[in-house]
This record gives sequence, C-alpha cells and structure tokens, in this order.
Amino acid sequence: MGKKLAIWCMNRTRTVFTAVIVMVLALGMLIPNITIDTDPENMLSDDQPDRVRHNEIRERFGLHDMIVVGQVNTENEDGVFNPESLSAHYRLTRALEKMDGVIARDIMSMAAVDNVEQVGVGTIAYDWLIPKPPESQEEADRIRQAVEDLPMYQGTLVSEDGKAAAIFVPLESKDISHRIAGEIQAVVDELDTADEFHITGQPVAQDTFGVEMFQQMAISAPLAGLVIFLTMLYFFRSLPLVVAPMLLAMATVISTMGLLIGMGFTVHIMSSMIPIFLMPIAVVASVHVLSNFADRYRPGDDPKAVMGEVMEKLFKPILFTGLTTAVGFLSLLTTPIPPVQVFGGFISFGVVIALLLTLGFIPAYTVALKQSTLDKMAEKFRQKEEADEKANQGGGLLGKMGRFPTHKPGLVIGSVAVIMAISVYGITQIQINDNPTLWFKEDHRIRVADRVLNERFAGTYEAYIHLTQTGIDQEVEEMRRQVQNTLDEAEQAGFDLREDWQKMWEESAGASSPGDRLETLAMQIDDHLFEVDFDQADYWEKILDQVEKARSATRAFQNPEHLAWMDDLKNHLEEAGVIGKANSLADLVKTINRELISGDPEDYELPDSANGVAQTLLSFQSSQRPDDLWNFVTRDFTEANIWLQLPSGDNQVMSQVIAEVDAFMQDNPPPQGVELDWAGGTYINLVWQGEMVEGMLWALISAFVVVLVMMIALFRSLLLGVLAMLPLTITIAFIYGAMGLIGKDYDMPVAVLSSLSLGLSVDFAIHFIQRLRMALEDAAGDWKEAMERVFEAPSRAIVRNAVVIAIGFLPLLAAPLVPYITVGVFLASIMATSALVTLFVLPAFIALSPRAFLGKTVIKA
Amino acid sequence: MKTNLLKRASGLLGGATLMLSSSLILAAPPVQEIIENANQASYYAGQDGRSEARMRIEDDSGRTQTRQFTVLRKNVEGSDQQKYLVVFSRPSEYRDTVFLVHKDPQSADDRWLYLPDLDLVRRIAPGDKRTSFVGAHVYYEDISGRNLNEDNHSLAEETDEYYVLESTPKNPDSVEFASFRTWIDKETWLPMRIEYTNPEGEVYRIMENARVEVIDGYPTPTMMRVQDKVSGGTTLVQFRGINYDLGIPDSVFTERSLRNPPSEWLERR
Repeated sequence: MGKKLAIWCMNRTRTVFTAVIVMVLALGMLIPNITIDTDPENMLSDDQPDRVRHNEIRERFGLHDMIVVGQVNTENEDGVFNPESLSAHYRLTRALEKMDGVIARDIMSMAAVDNVEQVGVGTIAYDWLIPKPPESQEEADRIRQAVEDLPMYQGTLVSEDGKAAAIFVPLESKDISHRIAGEIQAVVDELDTADEFHITGQPVAQDTFGVEMFQQMAISAPLAGLVIFLTMLYFFRSLPLVVAPMLLAMATVISTMGLLIGMGFTVHIMSSMIPIFLMPIAVVASVHVLSNFADRYRPGDDPKAVMGEVMEKLFKPILFTGLTTAVGFLSLLTTPIPPVQVFGGFISFGVVIALLLTLGFIPAYTVALKQSTLDKMAEKFRQKEEADEKANQGGGLLGKMGRFPTHKPGLVIGSVAVIMAISVYGITQIQINDNPTLWFKEDHRIRVADRVLNERFAGTYEAYIHLTQTGIDQEVEEMRRQVQNTLDEAEQAGFDLREDWQKMWEESAGASSPGDRLETLAMQIDDHLFEVDFDQADYWEKILDQVEKARSATRAFQNPEHLAWMDDLKNHLEEAGVIGKANSLADLVKTINRELISGDPEDYELPDSANGVAQTLLSFQSSQRPDDLWNFVTRDFTEANIWLQLPSGDNQVMSQVIAEVDAFMQDNPPPQGVELDWAGGTYINLVWQGEMVEGMLWALISAFVVVLVMMIALFRSLLLGVLAMLPLTITIAFIYGAMGLIGKDYDMPVAVLSSLSLGLSVDFAIHFIQRLRMALEDAAGDWKEAMERVFEAPSRAIVRNAVVIAIGFLPLLAAPLVPYITVGVFLASIMATSALVTLFVLPAFIALSPRAFLGKTVIKA
Repeated sequence: MKTNLLKRASGLLGGATLMLSSSLILAAPPVQEIIENANQASYYAGQDGRSEARMRIEDDSGRTQTRQFTVLRKNVEGSDQQKYLVVFSRPSEYRDTVFLVHKDPQSADDRWLYLPDLDLVRRIAPGDKRTSFVGAHVYYEDISGRNLNEDNHSLAEETDEYYVLESTPKNPDSVEFASFRTWIDKETWLPMRIEYTNPEGEVYRIMENARVEVIDGYPTPTMMRVQDKVSGGTTLVQFRGINYDLGIPDSVFTERSLRNPPSEWLERR
C-alpha cells in the first residue's frame, strides 16, 4: 500500500509538486482575510443559556462593557482632592464625553454624577458633584466631603483613602476599546498633572491581547520553525534532508490556516497556536522516512526502489501515529467550547495534510533530487550515525537505560506505582482557576493597572445578581377574577358593564409589561368615569381600585421588604469579604431618603412603604441622571439588578461569591416568588471554565478510548494495546499531579493540553513496540537481544523525535502572553517525559512476561 | 421694555406651552414684532387656568412609564411672575405628590415638593433647571420657562407658515445645547417646533406641538412631543380638561396646598 502510493507519486513528481503548490497558494491567499477574536464570551457558543441570559440582562438594564481609568495621587496629603488633580479629572471626563463610541450619558466619574444633599434645612439639591474645575483647596475639600457622604460612590468612583479616583467609561461596542484606550492615553498625556493614570477593564485587556496574539504568531511560529530546522540540521547534518520536512511543515501550516480563515472562522487565542502545534507534528513523520531512506540508500542504488521499500515498511506506523494524533485533537470537538473545537478540528486537518504529504510529497521530493545530492546526503548521514554508535559503544546511556528495566522490572514498576500514587494525590489537589487578566505577564501595564486599581478600589471586575419577581401573571389573573365578581354585582343591580370592560381589557393588550397594561387599564377606567352615570360609577370605582391594587402588587421592587432583603444580601457579601462592594436599588433609595429627611446618617434607611420608595425615586428622577435608576431596576419594577464589584477576576473568587449567595439564600429565603440568576463578565468566565473542565475530561476519556482501540487494532493484541497506552497515561498523571502539588492553577491552556498530548505522546510507544516486534523477528525470538537492538538506532530515532518536538514548542516561552508560555512549558515537558517513560517503563513491563506481550515466538530464556 | 417683554407665558396652560412661548424673544424690529405678536397669543390667554396632563415616557425599547397630573396656574398681576401648582393623580404610588412653583424671571424661582407617603415638604434648591421633570424627557425649565434674556435671538428664515428663529445662549457653559431653532406659526403665533443642536452641530432634542385646539377662544396646544435623540426616548404629553379664567384665588398657590390639595380647583368642571 505505502509502496504503491509512493511509486505512483515518484512517477509523477511534476503533478505532485503542482498539486501541493496549487493547494498552498489557493488556501494561503485566504489568510489576509484574517479576523481576530479575543472576546472570552466567545468561549461559549451563541446560544449557550448563561450567555444568552447574560446578554438579555445587560440589554434590559443598559449595562455596557467598560474601560476603567484610574487616577492616583500619593504625593499630596489630600490625594486626588486638590484643585489640580480634580481639574485634570474634570477635563478628562469632558474629553471622554466627546469621544466617538463612548456612551457619554452613562460615564461614571465624579465629574459626571450628581451630588444629592440637603443644602439648608428642608431643602434638597441635585447638583453636579464637580460642576466646574475647582479653583481652591476649599472647593476640593467640599467635593471630598460630598462624595464621602455618598455610599454609592465610595470605593467605586473614589478610593476610601482619597488617593485615587476612577472613571468607568461605557462603550458602544468592545471592538473599539483599543482605539478609545489610545485616545484616553493621548488626553492623559496632555493633562497638566503629575498624577498617575492607569487604563484597564476587560475590553482593553481583550483588545491588547489580540494585538499581542499577532506578535506571538509573528514571532513564536517562525522561531519554532527555525529552532526545529537547526535541531534537525544538528541531528542529520544534511541540508537537503532537512529542507524537505520544513517545506512540508510550511505547506501544512499555510494550508490549514488558510482553510480556517477562508471558512470564515475567527482566529481566537486557541487557533492562533495552530501553526506552532502543527510545525513539529508535521516534521516528525517525514524525519522517520528520510532517516530510514538515508540509512538504506547506497550510492548507485535506484532511489525509487529504496524509497518504495522504506515506505512499505513505515507505512503502518506513520499512518497510525498520524491518525492517533488526529484523534487526540479531534476529541476536542466533544467540548462545548467553540474556539477549542475549531482548534482541535483544524489541527486534525493539518495532521492529515501532513500525513498525506509525508506519504506522497516526501518520496516525490527525494527522487527529484540529483543523484549526487542523494549520494552525499546518505554519506553524511551514515557518518553521523556511525559516530553516534561509536559514542554509545558498549553501553551508551541509551543502552544502559534499556538494560536496567529488563534486569530489574520490579524496581521500575514499583517506583512507577509510587510516583503514580503521589501523582493521584497531586491531581486531587488541583485548583481549577482562570482569570483572563492573568494571561498577561506580571509586569505588563494591564497587570500593573489591575493591581493598582484593585488595591485602591472595591474592584474593577463586575458581576451582576439579577432578581426576578415571578407570579406576575397570577396576580393579573387574580385581579380579573375579582373584577368578574364586581361585574356580577353590577349585573345584579341592573348594570351591564361587561362590554365596556372587555373593550378596555383588549385595548390595553399592547402594553410593554403586565404592570404597564394595568396602568393603561386604570387610565381608561378613569377616563370612562367621566362618561358614565352616577349609579354605575360606584362599580367602576371599585374595579379601578382592584386594578390599581393589582398593579401596585406587580411592582415588587418598590416594596421595602424586597429592598431590605437585597440590602441584607449585600451586607452579607461585603462582611464575608468575598466582594469589594455591591450597589443596588436599596443603596440609592436609602441615600435619597436620607437627604430628603435630614441628611444625617441615622436617616440612612428605607422608607416604610412602597409608595414612600416610589416617591423617593420620583424625587431622584428629577436629578441630572434620572436614567441611572434603570441600571438597577426595570421600569415595571419586576426585576432588579445588584452590581457586584470584585477585586479579582479569578474564577475561584466568583465561585466563592456564588457559594456565599447560596448560603445566604438558605438562611434568608428571598421574598416570595423572587428568583435569582447571574450575569457579568466574571460570571461568564466561570461558566466557560466549568464547561471547559467537564468538556476536557470527556475529551480526554473519549480520545483515550479511541486511541486504545486503534492500538489494539494496530498490534492485534489487547495486551500490547494497553501497554502502548501506559507511558502516556503515566506521563499525563505525573505532569498533572506535579501541577497540583506545586499549586499551578488548572486554567484554559492547561485543560486543553491533556487530551492533545495524548495523541502526540502515544507515537513513541507505537514506534517502540513496532520496532521491537521487527527486531524480535530479526533476532529469531530472543527478546533480550531484540531489546538491545531496539535501544540502538530505533531508540535514537525516538529520542530525536522527542527532542525535535519538545524543542519545537520551546519558542512559545518567548511569547508575551502567559497561556502560550504555559503551553510551551507543558508540552515540552510532556513530550520529554513520555519519551523517557516509553523507553524506561515499557521494557520493564515486557520483561515481566515477554511471551504474554510479544507472543509465542519469544523463546523462553 | 425689558419687563414688558419678559412678561410672558401667562396665556397658555401646562408646561408645554410655557416652554414654547419662552423662546419667543425680540431683538431687532422684525424679530421684535414676531415676538410681540407671539406674546400676545401666549400671554393674554387668560389670567389663570387649569389643565390635566398625561405623560407617556417611552424609552428606546418601547418600555413606558406614565404620569398624570393636574396643573393650576395663575399670573401675578402687573408683573411677569407666575404661580403653579402641580398635583399628581396617577399612577397611584405618586397620588397627591405636589409641586408648587413661584416663578420669578427677575430672580430665582421658589420650588416646593410634597411627598405624601413620607409626609415631607421639601424646598428644591435653585439649581440646574435643565434636568428631567419626574423622569420625563421634559425639563424643569420647559415647565417653568427659560429666561428670555439668557439667549440671543435672530430671525433665521421666514416661510409661508412660519417664522423661524435661531437662538444661541449668552453663556454656553450653562447649558448643554449650542443653539435652538423655533418655528412660530404665523396664524396662531404658537411655537410649533423647537430643535436643539449640540456643539457638534447635531439636532439631539426636538419638541413639537402635535395638536392645537381653540379653547375658550385661545389657540391651545393639547398634545406635545419631546424626542431625545441621544437616548432614543420620547415623552408624549396630552392635555385635557383645559379651562381659562376660573378666578383661582392666590391662597391655592401657598404651602398649605401641598398637604391639602385644593380639590375644588383640581376637579374637572
């Protein structure tokens, strides 16, 4: 099969080359259409329920993605409360309002919000907190005093110590955040102040990430190519021999990325790593072919014939190593995370392309070379091999390594058992946690801004608790029943009001909410009262009462009980220390109520009645920013929203918050019919993280099963199939155990690595077992002799491949972003470890019972 | 002349018309003539009046709030001062909430607020008057009137139907608009449309009289619409139950009425 294919290709070199060039050009031309996607929200599919809910809630409450600008002054004893800093703050705010794409009316800044206060006995004032740049320290002091009286702004717009001020800049869309951040920086540079400024917030982080992702692709991928090239040149000492795999790798990478982009997929953090994954994978199989060829070829031989033989022999291992790798990546399709699916799918595609090119292009390339080139290449290669053999003579490192486990299998297997036990313990210690801000390196300006602002403020990470009053429809139904009774009474008294009622009921149907419908109805009845007879009016007034009562009942979040519960929840979370701060309708109502009554702290409380709450808010609606109210409650008062400020974007912090809320709900059930759910970027990150962990476990298990079945099919032996899986199982357990023990968080890149490393590292076992079986034939059934032979050239090939692939991933260490570094370190160590384990543990197990593993041809020792 | 010109907004009822008439200003003769005629139509519509207003506040997604209230108004004889009493009736949670305004264009207005369920009478500090009136897209200033002297006015255009005036603030820092344009009906002298332009030159706020009826002989706007192009929201105000020259006594416009609304005058007649 392999021979036939190779010969077919070698007879049509021109066709093969044209086909490859056409494919690379056609797909490569699509690459300029690239679109980058850095939105963590896209870790969930469009229709994922939590994401859909998150967006509904944001839409309903007018919540936008926000850039956070921090201003810090640690020099002045009054912090930012000095005329110069506040003037800068004022001017920056005005400049922000003019930026295209900034939602000016929703900017949160001391220079853009109201100060509500009593300005003399019985006089309430809503005025801009900073109406104009302050000119004296007295004015600055007054602003400080005012803002310290406003609990909603403390820790949010100004730090408790007064050293820092923050501006929350809402954006029309997060795609523009990089531009806006640049414009903000430009304004800041022109400000006449010595204050420090920091720009952060999820949208900025995402955009910056996109920019640095390009850098990664532009630096790490070519660097990986170079490193692989040099490593191979060192091993094989022949340029033509090394050039072929490199060409193959390039063709594979360009075609795969071209197809991905051409099919309209965005390049996400995951898919940006495709080139660097494909390069080493694409190279290794062709290295096997070429080194085998060089080994067999003698000057004067017919290259076609030699290559035909090589392909005949290597077809099966190449096919299977390729397919197992593809399966490992394909298993990522079972995760519910679209970017991971795209990554897995296209790497699989690339692996298959590389496989086909290895089987077709490499033979064609080889025979297209000049005879003299081939002679020289074979010559140089053999010289190097001989030199290596001489160096290893009489028990080089590899030879010793091969003999040790066969002599002391018990010791090796015992130590493996101990290491596995420790690893399993380590795995139980794994902390599942991620935080997209931590994807930047520690000294990155975004990390610095994040640190500074979260130290000083209640938190720049947001989550929203969304509360819904259910049972509104029942309330309306109950009212209709009551109205029917009244209509019955009227009928008995000789008045038929049904037709009019029915007409009004139907006319009110277009209202935007049940509460709104009842209000419309009440107005219609009110109008109708002017037209009806005095006798009927009694009944209509009774109906009007019933409608109004029902309407008031629908406005759940006007009830002091509802607000008090929200307030208790907030206090619980703040006292538990899991959040920096929460802002809710209750805080707003209490503040306005205090200023309406006296302005004194003891009046910082909720009004006694729902109408009292409503009238407090009516007063607030005459302020400069009446619409701020709708960030906390819907217009029909059936839903409310609590804004949580978290000082960290760690998923673990978010989990704690949820656990605290659940615990609070256990002890303090919410008002009847109130349901709670979540929104906000930090929450969404937690959701996809959860799906990732579960999805990856499933991907790992399914890949494991499929590869195991393939191994059993390849070796036609259950036992050998299981044996082939052993090295990678030990390796993955060991690496993840070590990770648990050293306390490295299990995050997105780490999660993805498990199943894909499975497909890569099984290759070593395939080659080892396949070569051992061949050697066993040559050694006429003497398994120890066969083992000795395997530990010569074949093991060297395995080690070389491991080194090439491990080193190929190392350039990721040069990447500016942490996930890439994590991937680089982990893949390099997984590759190296699994190669070692293959060479160390497999012989030990085989030594336990050679006949069981290798079959009846083994001669009993 | 100044006092005479500033004596304004006495004729019509409700916040809408008051606001609209406030933009009728004079400077050079042609403009002065327009304004004088407009004043005539607006100011002398009666000594006092009542009107029932119903506001429908709609946001860009069609979510609505409603407010229903009765306005009593009385001109102070021999001056440009006016008194207003605004009493809320619907929705029920605002029932008997009352605003009392003593408007004095020569100095600051006096404003009181009564919140019945908190049983609180509060004065409202004379601050920025271009803030929302009870959550609507109508401003306080639209209700109590913008001082004519705060803007420079000129005749921008004359059409078959309208005189179009262009007004720019004398102190641009005090307001959010850069200018506004007023379309004054040549027949009734009522301002039919006002467009506010921001410093970027975009029209961001539009007020219009969508319906005018002749009541007791006075052309009276009965439907008014305010569009906020920035938020995409609209407030529609309908006026009904309009009467002029009722002889409402001064005692109605005192702090006493905050806790005890004068039902005699509030009821439809």
